[in-house]
Amino acid sequence: MKLTVNGIGHEVESHGLQSLLYVLREELGITSPKAGCVQGGCGACTVLVDGEPRRSCLTPLAALNGAAITTLEGLGTPESLSVVQAAFHEQYGSQCGFCTPGMIVATTALLERTKKPTRHDIEQALAGHYCRCTGYVKIVASVEAAAGGAKK
Amino acid sequence: MAKHTGRGISAIEYPTGMNQNGDPSQAWIKIKPDGRVDVFSGTSDIGNGSKTIQSQIVAETLGVPYDWITYDNSNTDSSPVCTGTFASRATFVAGKAVEKAALSAKEKLLEIAAKELEIAPEDLEVVDGEVIAKGAPQKKIGVPDVAAAATWVHGELITGTGAHLNPYAAIVDPETGRVDSPPHAAISYAACAAEVEVDDETGEVRVEHMWQCFDVGRAINPTLVEGQIQGGALMGLGLAVLESCYPYYPSVEHRGTEFGSYFVPGIEGLPKIDTIIIENPSALGPYGAKGISEMANNPQPPAIASAVFDAVGVWVTELPITPERVLRALEKKDEGPRRDGKWVIFDEDISVNTVAAEGSRFRFPVGA
Amino acid sequence: MKAVGARLPRYDGVAHVTGKSVFVDDVRIPGTLCVKALRSPLHHAGIVSLDTSKAEKMPGVHAVVTHKDVPLNVYGHLSALGIPADEPLLAEDDVRWLGQPIAAVAAEDEDTALAAVEAIKLDLEERPAVFDMRIAGDPDAPQIHHWGNWYPHFEAEMDVRQIRKGDIDAAFDAADVIVSGVYRPAAIEQAPLETQTGLAVPEADGRITVYSCTQALYFSMGVVAAHLQVPLNRLKFVGGTVGGGFGGKVDTAAEAICALLALKGGRPCKWRWTREEEFLCSSTRAAWHIEIADAVTKDGWILGRKTLTLHDAGAYARFSPYGVTKHSFHHTGAYSIPNLHFDGYVVFTNRSPTSAMRGYGVTSVSFATEVHMSRIAKELGIDPFEIRLKNANRIADTSPNGIAYTDPSTVPTIQAIAEAIGHELPAEYRAMTPDPREGDLLPEHLAAQVGEVDH
Repeated sequence: MKLTVNGIGHEVESHGLQSLLYVLREELGITSPKAGCVQGGCGACTVLVDGEPRRSCLTPLAALNGAAITTLEGLGTPESLSVVQAAFHEQYGSQCGFCTPGMIVATTALLERTKKPTRHDIEQALAGHYCRCTGYVKIVASVEAAAGGAKK
Repeated sequence: MAKHTGRGISAIEYPTGMNQNGDPSQAWIKIKPDGRVDVFSGTSDIGNGSKTIQSQIVAETLGVPYDWITYDNSNTDSSPVCTGTFASRATFVAGKAVEKAALSAKEKLLEIAAKELEIAPEDLEVVDGEVIAKGAPQKKIGVPDVAAAATWVHGELITGTGAHLNPYAAIVDPETGRVDSPPHAAISYAACAAEVEVDDETGEVRVEHMWQCFDVGRAINPTLVEGQIQGGALMGLGLAVLESCYPYYPSVEHRGTEFGSYFVPGIEGLPKIDTIIIENPSALGPYGAKGISEMANNPQPPAIASAVFDAVGVWVTELPITPERVLRALEKKDEGPRRDGKWVIFDEDISVNTVAAEGSRFRFPVGA
Repeated sequence: MKAVGARLPRYDGVAHVTGKSVFVDDVRIPGTLCVKALRSPLHHAGIVSLDTSKAEKMPGVHAVVTHKDVPLNVYGHLSALGIPADEPLLAEDDVRWLGQPIAAVAAEDEDTALAAVEAIKLDLEERPAVFDMRIAGDPDAPQIHHWGNWYPHFEAEMDVRQIRKGDIDAAFDAADVIVSGVYRPAAIEQAPLETQTGLAVPEADGRITVYSCTQALYFSMGVVAAHLQVPLNRLKFVGGTVGGGFGGKVDTAAEAICALLALKGGRPCKWRWTREEEFLCSSTRAAWHIEIADAVTKDGWILGRKTLTLHDAGAYARFSPYGVTKHSFHHTGAYSIPNLHFDGYVVFTNRSPTSAMRGYGVTSVSFATEVHMSRIAKELGIDPFEIRLKNANRIADTSPNGIAYTDPSTVPTIQAIAEAIGHELPAEYRAMTPDPREGDLLPEHLAAQVGEVDH
């Protein structure tokens, strides 16, 4: 079936019940979405499906016919970081880097729907994203910086 | 049927380096023909930022810009030994090895520069990528030109190696535990205050605010130090009120097998975290640095437990401090410790004296 | 421009925020097989028989390994520190924890690997299990480890880690009050976002490249080299970029088995632990049981401390003797207590072996001793800051094992916290420094413990 990922069309071979996470990582070699738990519990596999953040580990291929997928790779590159990527880098919102793809994807979606998120909005958007390294403080600072808000 | 606020404090210490030492780290450096610097270290970066701070140490020691450093810790063919990223040793012990390698490379660099400038190496210094004569800054040569001269004129390779090992501190008397030399590279210190809100009807403990003061010796990168302290704070909070592999310990029943049944702290209800960094330099660490990344999750659990007592008058000494444990303690609140002569005896029901059988190896006599 | 002390950007920051950082599971090697393990379904049992023949013949299965395939099956991670080996890489005669690895398979895909594991015939004879450390020392407790129920190989073959200092009986006689309590910090998971992952690749020149999530490349390479009985240059460990460790990625959980399968099957073998495996089978922080009795004076001096520590090592020793030793060296926390009687035991139970986690050995001390200190303050009616400040380590005070402190910062860190939360200290306490004790801060009972500072 056909799947568009980061603007490029692919003909994928996996069966309909295969997870989007598997398709991205194993079939297409797009490795930023991480297999943190493959239980839907950690958020590290999060990608955008038609702009909405989704757990790719729980999303079956069959539900995605014609969908446009965006992963972290599609948001920006080292030469041209997105606003959110730049904020996470400048505010040190990443330590080991494993939760970072999901955090940045979810933050990107948040800022698309809410230009000036409150602290509550931020916590709600990232509630299902675990980070074991940062204690979240600099992640919150990264989101606020990306929103053009206060730096801490 | 109310929420009560309480505060508690703790003051702790923690060793840098493996206990009893004997944990080597090594590094080597080479300078490319255009002056760019390659660092080979065996230290794994587990998120703590060792790639970053070791590169900063090299940049500072060698006198070149940070972005001239390429850091390679990727494999055991090109990198020498680092015992590992644990025991809070990546900054002190491994960082020291990297500093020594940079000093060694600098010595070679200045030897070549001395030939180029015809000035003795001891009269030269390296600042921002330039080798400059001390007191006569108009006499200078860029590090790139020194490296080029080394490669194409003098037929030399500019390298440096460094190794650091604190000698093993043996236990000389196992009956008393005495050692013959310091069994650590340095000791780090911290203090913490926690403010909690306890609901005496549900037993829920919410950690509202934590203040943390850490003596890091020298903050090689203050932002990375803050990151360790903040990350540690949440891990300490988890140990205090949320996490248990065995919810019915010592029973092994009902282990959590996913994030929904094992409670890692999430972003919701993030407490306010105030961080104070003190720099009381270590005698031997690179630029006086000490390691604090492990200690970062040690002061919170006792501060939180003491804060719970301050809030609702019960000591919960089995972690995590779950709502159930708070409520059960509140039921027995009036009981208090057993008093026997000058002894004040808490927690007898969970002591080995109560649980273990007659003749057990594990005994802890209490009472007059 | 100064680099040390500067808030320079993370070396790997751009790679992290663009998804370019390469973790073990991101490495792509053509022909990689999927690894799954047969794990013990019981807490404690004898292995009566193990038959892997059906699994070996299954289409798509390239290799199956058991203890028979391991050149050195029982290797102690800390043998170099005198801690003898007790734990098999793959179980041989018995299993001592639910989840203990018995065999492993490498197959074309995950479904085949799981089916192959199912096809291994395992016959077990259940034995009684022990989960509560406190009863592991009972005369009639079931024996669950071939060394007995607690570690017996400290120096001089002692079965207990001991600290003795000064005259504990005199301290307890002289005390105005003796406060005792029991502290039980929990076993918790390191729970990094990246699970244990190893990928072993047999190379054309006979070497094996092992992509590892280890926190310690050379340490883990040494472990695999020992199990395989090969010199270090037969292996190349690749890694250094780890998705969180917190002490849980020192145990070299996946690499040796992947290397064995790669050698036997001749194909790259990857083992990415499931999150369930990570929760149930990876090493955890140990649970501790700490009983403390402090002999104190009415005005808040701690004259002496008695401690009994039980450390729940789980089924095998791993680093626990090291952890209990470190714990003993720091069991007075940040305070100078001149008379000490400490006994610490590494106790075996039938749960997943415990290992290092952030603060190893001392996290438990900090919890126990700091809550205990707050309790003492409450009992005596003394301000919790003041009692800490007067007992706090000073320069030249000595540690539990006789080493003089050179630069303790307990006093300034406590003072900084008092100021931060707006707790006003009396002038005398505001003026305290880490300088060597003198005058009122050097009562008679602390004189004998003052040492020589090595400068």
